[in-house]
Amino acid sequence: MLFDYMAIAVFVFFSTAIAVTAILLGGLFGPRRKSEVKSEPYESGMIPIGPGTRRMPVRFYLVAVLFILFDIEVVFFLPWAVSFRKLGLFGLIEMFIFIGILLVGYFYAWKKGALEWE
Amino acid sequence: MTIPVSTETLDLAAKFPGIVTPDEREGYSGWIVKADELAAFAASLRDDLGYDFLSSVTGVDYLPEKKLEVVYHVYKTTGGPGLVFKVQLPRKKPEVPSLTPVYPGADFQEREAWDLLGIKFTGHPDLRRILMWEGFEGHPLRKDWKEPFYEEDIKPYSSRWPEGKHSYAEDRNPFNDNVQFPKQFDPEKWVPEGDAALYGALAEYRTTDEDGLDTDHIVVNMGPQHPSTHGVFRAVITLDGEDIVSMKPVMGYLHRNHEKIGERNTYLHNMPYTDRLDYFCSMTNNHGYALAVEKLTGIEVPERTEYIRVIMDELTRIQNHFILIGMLLNDLGAYFTPALYAFEERELILDIFEAVAGSRMMCNYFRFGGVARDVTPEILEKVSALAFDRLPRKADEFDRLLTENEILVSRCKGVGRLSSEDAIKYSMSGPSLRASGVPYDIRKADPYSIYDRFDFDVAVRYNGDTYDRYLIRLDEIRQSLRILQQAIRQIPEGPIQTGKSTYLTKTPAGESYGRIEAPKGELGYYLVSNGTGNPWRYHVRAPSFINITALESMVVGGKIADFVIVFGGIDVVLGEMDR
Amino acid sequence: MIDLALVLEWVIKSLVVIFMLLGGFAYLTWFERRILARMQTRVGPNRAGWQGLLQPVADAVKLVFKEELIPARADKVIFVLAPILTVVPATVLAVVIPFGTQVILFGRQVNLAVADINVGILFLMAVASVAVYGIVLAGWSSNNKFALMGGMRSTAQMISYELALGLSFVLVALMADSLQLSEIVEAQRTMWFVVLQPVGAIVFLIVTLAEVNRAPFDMPEAEQELAAGFHSEYSGMKFALFFMAEYQKMIVISIIAVTLFFGGYLGPFIGRFPWLGPVYVLGKVVALLFGMVWIRATLPRIRYDRLMDLGWKVLLPLVLGLVLITATGILLADEFGNSLVWSIPVVSILAGFLTVGLVDRSLRRKFNALR
Repeated sequence: MLFDYMAIAVFVFFSTAIAVTAILLGGLFGPRRKSEVKSEPYESGMIPIGPGTRRMPVRFYLVAVLFILFDIEVVFFLPWAVSFRKLGLFGLIEMFIFIGILLVGYFYAWKKGALEWE
Repeated sequence: MTIPVSTETLDLAAKFPGIVTPDEREGYSGWIVKADELAAFAASLRDDLGYDFLSSVTGVDYLPEKKLEVVYHVYKTTGGPGLVFKVQLPRKKPEVPSLTPVYPGADFQEREAWDLLGIKFTGHPDLRRILMWEGFEGHPLRKDWKEPFYEEDIKPYSSRWPEGKHSYAEDRNPFNDNVQFPKQFDPEKWVPEGDAALYGALAEYRTTDEDGLDTDHIVVNMGPQHPSTHGVFRAVITLDGEDIVSMKPVMGYLHRNHEKIGERNTYLHNMPYTDRLDYFCSMTNNHGYALAVEKLTGIEVPERTEYIRVIMDELTRIQNHFILIGMLLNDLGAYFTPALYAFEERELILDIFEAVAGSRMMCNYFRFGGVARDVTPEILEKVSALAFDRLPRKADEFDRLLTENEILVSRCKGVGRLSSEDAIKYSMSGPSLRASGVPYDIRKADPYSIYDRFDFDVAVRYNGDTYDRYLIRLDEIRQSLRILQQAIRQIPEGPIQTGKSTYLTKTPAGESYGRIEAPKGELGYYLVSNGTGNPWRYHVRAPSFINITALESMVVGGKIADFVIVFGGIDVVLGEMDR
Repeated sequence: MIDLALVLEWVIKSLVVIFMLLGGFAYLTWFERRILARMQTRVGPNRAGWQGLLQPVADAVKLVFKEELIPARADKVIFVLAPILTVVPATVLAVVIPFGTQVILFGRQVNLAVADINVGILFLMAVASVAVYGIVLAGWSSNNKFALMGGMRSTAQMISYELALGLSFVLVALMADSLQLSEIVEAQRTMWFVVLQPVGAIVFLIVTLAEVNRAPFDMPEAEQELAAGFHSEYSGMKFALFFMAEYQKMIVISIIAVTLFFGGYLGPFIGRFPWLGPVYVLGKVVALLFGMVWIRATLPRIRYDRLMDLGWKVLLPLVLGLVLITATGILLADEFGNSLVWSIPVVSILAGFLTVGLVDRSLRRKFNALR
């Protein structure tokens, strides 16, 4: 079965190779005529004011944290789903409880305004 | 709806003794106001007499008399003729109090007058150049300002006419052009001096929120080279995440000093130039200009021509509104499908323009007291096929496909709201004003041409958001179709030109202001003649330019995605805004 | 046992799938442009070659010869790395997908899948998450405000929709009793999962659109406000890689949708002619891709905050509910007879309608509050 993962490695190798080749091709054939103005970052034709990379609103971070929370729970779902028929009613009740706990956190986040973007 | 034909004769001189005197020059009308008392006078006009709509602010340079004159046109949004008042200033150090506290709509127009004529408006909150760039030398609309390659004051230039042996000034110049840079100056590295002032006018860029956390505000330039600013409009926006904290519009990237060119031209010369203002609606541009010149010279327009003009105007309005709806959907992110559906209808209308004028976009069709060519019965048949059959169907189709679209509704409703008071305050005109609940349409309020003969309603919506600005376009398409249908039924036979059409129009000295309800708003032409074949002053009251005054108040507090649709919903064309 | 033939088989299968995706990408651009043009009363590209079929070649040649710029003060290494990081996961997603059962080739039993691993679904989730890095790094390294905002937006969007995506995977795992994609397909021999769980399939398709940043969720590259979003600064082949990633992802995710809900390689006579498998997959994928293009031609873009609302407040609870409904339905069917399995679609559709009704009501309320 582990052979399959080696097949994946082969696949990853080739797809990376193709991507790298594409970039090398562009570097090989593309002209290079640099100038200072040309290399300014695009800002609708104006010289940008201030740095281009800077702190973003904290909401994005909040989304990331919430995502990690819920995504891990989704991962817990998968083994449960596979062995659900073996677990039977016990598994179902178990999962109701699990989702119940999940929902408590979910509604807490909702009420706290973590999901608001306006 | 009743049409207020005339108002009570106002004797402002008696009402404001010592401040106001009637303008008694030959061919002129209105009142001359003392500069010091202007603000109080304007406030009284607005509050006591009901002249709440400031249509136009401009200046005239009377070089021979060594005077500068600021000319204001005000109207009532309840309808009726307007009022003109002027302030006369010395050419040296002209200063006049700003009217922005009374009429905030004067903002950009005063900046324009400062920029082009050098009239200083004291008390203006942000008196910077608006069309020219910061650091530009001189004020180009002054009569003693001369452009590069200057030849003569007025056309036709003797080098080209009557012999026609012209040479280009740039060829005679040893440097091939007369733009020279100082040694140390590298245009590649030049930073416009105005930008510092512009960015300074924006809100602070780092703030602390209520939890004591620093948040970076981002200052972003939307435009001039940006896919959604409909040309080279530039908005400098401060963002807090996705929210707009402040916004300053910058324009003039397409500035060509249309008015200076117009003052060099003869009257008829200038007709094709007006095409290039709002290049979607050359017919209505022509109409406004023809109207102003006809008022000045007193030429009558034949009956048939009036009908032709109305037909062309309404066709223009229909295609403009179709395009607006299509492009608004594009701004909403619909990938070109609505826009191309709209273009399909527009092409059919442009076919008609091509048939009558020979050109699809730059029609140059109107003449003083007439139009260039008659409309043949075949063309009329085509128009009526459009007006009675195809366009009503297509308007319904747009309605059916778009009006109830959930995404369109949820993105447009409540976005970019403008109350009716604000709309009037900021001199908003056209569909955007009517979408804010002010039923002010020049075709009804102060009828020109033969619009008083047609039975149609002024489309009006009351929420003043982008959704209403979308809906009102559909309403107006339908009203325009009604006018069109009546005009096609009623159009009489007859001549299309009063007298002989001449190349040179002699005009008596005087002034005139011709304004029409262009698809984008109130399009006005202010002309001053000194009795020769060329206008002494030629000013365009461009709806695209003035409607943008309100933009800042409409987008601040919204999302960056909303900026695009609010801007798109106002309907501007840069050719007209930057002139 | 590892022998040379096995390695050769991997190499050949990998290259076949990769080049198939490359070709698919090239002709998907052509397909999309022609379909869009037809829907917009235009003709579309028809000059290069018969019916414009050489257009992708012309585009590729042009992109190869374009100058590539790296903006001043950009993070050069990450800037170059980002397109690779975007395109590789988009391709690698295809590795676990079965295109058919087994065929005999050169006297060898050949699986029509590069690697049919037993945790296929988990693999898909993992690799799909990696794709986010490329986009956020591209936005970050460009030293460009539009790019940064585009990158941030797409990160938030993609990870938000990944939750609903993961849960719809759970739905399939529940119904198929396995995480292995070939077993999932085999489990649909009697009935496609789209019949059993139609609402789940619809949610999956919606989430898919968001995951591949297609209209009406093409937020990160929202041309109207952010110019080109995270790839504003990219030109030439680096841009082509982003473009390729987007289109390959479209294809791959359509294949995944086909595998999970639309019976994968199953179709008439598949038992007798296993070679028909890839053909069926292709046909179903083209149908789904056509749907994607159609949606792009039809719908305007949803605003960003509404998009996040949809992901977090609508789709996530809806799919959670669907998971419970499906689990309960399966248990009922096991205990009290197979016909009770039909309770799953019935209750799911009711839940779907309930959700749409609630969303509708809250939107109406919002609008009415504005008046």
